[in-house]
Amino acid sequence: MAAFEYRQAEEVRDALRQRGVRYLFIGKSGAILLGYPDTTQDADLFVARDPANGTALVAALRDLGFALTDVQAAEIVRGKDFVQLKNGPFDLDLVFAPDGIERFEDAYARRIDVDGFPVCHIDDIIASKEAANRAKDRESLARLRAFRDYWKGRHSRPC
Amino acid sequence: MAIEESPEIPREWLEEFEAAERRPLAQRWKYAFIKTYKPVLDDSTYRSFDSTAEYRRWCAENLPSWLGYGSV
Repeated sequence: MAAFEYRQAEEVRDALRQRGVRYLFIGKSGAILLGYPDTTQDADLFVARDPANGTALVAALRDLGFALTDVQAAEIVRGKDFVQLKNGPFDLDLVFAPDGIERFEDAYARRIDVDGFPVCHIDDIIASKEAANRAKDRESLARLRAFRDYWKGRHSRPC
Repeated sequence: MAIEESPEIPREWLEEFEAAERRPLAQRWKYAFIKTYKPVLDDSTYRSFDSTAEYRRWCAENLPSWLGYGSV
């Protein structure tokens, strides 16, 4: 599978908006949208867990070309904590309960809009990585915290 | 834009942040997303986990440690 292209990111944004899905970009893909220079392989979406939102998400994913079985669709509607999709035009991780963030609504209230992409606040991205405490996150957290300082210096008020 | 010294941010990182900020979003995205095969992780088209803890446990038990998905 080829790398996740910006055109495809726009398709995700547009398809989820059209279906009214409530979600946020989180993880490194979210940080990259905020301006953080680094590399990654897939995008992580923090999705509000409720059946109506899950149903809308399944419809949007099928619009995008993800080949979801009925069982898989039901799991997404139900909002399993973590779903890894590699059955579409690009890889997506659906995160319904990220480490370090208590409630979707709180993160949504703090979100940043980047060209129509809803993105977790950099504080939430860092909190999530700190709580996950993975080796690969530990290696990158110092630079990500430095980016937070830089970003906050440029954006004094969240939208 | 001039690079400003910061006592907290190493100059090399500051230069990288400044350079990224000058790039359009589409270009930043293009530079950021790469694709390389990740053993085990890329060998299934779908996985789901009832809890994030279960996912973390699966990563620790099944993925090569060098991928860095294990908790420290």
